[in-house]
Amino acid sequence: MQNLSELTRRLIAAQVEFVLVGGFAAVAHGVAMVTRDVDICCRFSEANLMRIQAAFEGLHPVHRSRPDMRLQLTPEQCASLKNLYLKTDLGVVDCLGEILGIGGFEDVLKNSVEVELPYGKLRIIDIQALIRAKEAMNRDHDRIAVKHLKEILNKQS
Amino acid sequence: MLEKRTNEPVVLKEAPPAYGVASDGDIDLSLLKDSLLKTPWERMQANDDALNFAESLREAMLKRHAKPK
Repeated sequence: MQNLSELTRRLIAAQVEFVLVGGFAAVAHGVAMVTRDVDICCRFSEANLMRIQAAFEGLHPVHRSRPDMRLQLTPEQCASLKNLYLKTDLGVVDCLGEILGIGGFEDVLKNSVEVELPYGKLRIIDIQALIRAKEAMNRDHDRIAVKHLKEILNKQS
Repeated sequence: MLEKRTNEPVVLKEAPPAYGVASDGDIDLSLLKDSLLKTPWERMQANDDALNFAESLREAMLKRHAKPK
């Protein structure tokens, strides 16, 4: 059964270096839209990818594009992967190495804020960077989210 | 390359270049497919879970803004 809080708790507990981006980051900033998958931008080093694999141990993680392929990373894969789209027993997690409009993990990290969840600290992409990312993606739901985010930003200033 | 072995799970031997999820423009077909495999009750439960997670994130952001600088 889906449990996105538990998925996130596992990532934090495994000390994965990541920043929450995408739909749930928008929701965190106040956007009133429903989303299903957890999108994170993470460091695509071998150590960090192995932490992700360890975090999802026992949850039968598979590659979303090939559900018959379980997550079983090798050093060679870690060196070549840019993104990792995963499905687990607790939900879907998209791990992205870079964010369009922002850059790689370090750039996203610089443009993030820290919040305290009941199970640990979480970094979330900040609202200005999220607007830039969504403007760069420019899909239908991104454009709607940008409208929400800009309105929220106006109200905050 | 993918390699199939009898009685062993299929594993990714190396990352193929096109390593994304199926999508049709704005729609993530993989998410849609998963949703359609669920019963209406399971979809409602998944929605509840997503809303609970969203609420925990919003509360965390509110607490952050409430902190003195």
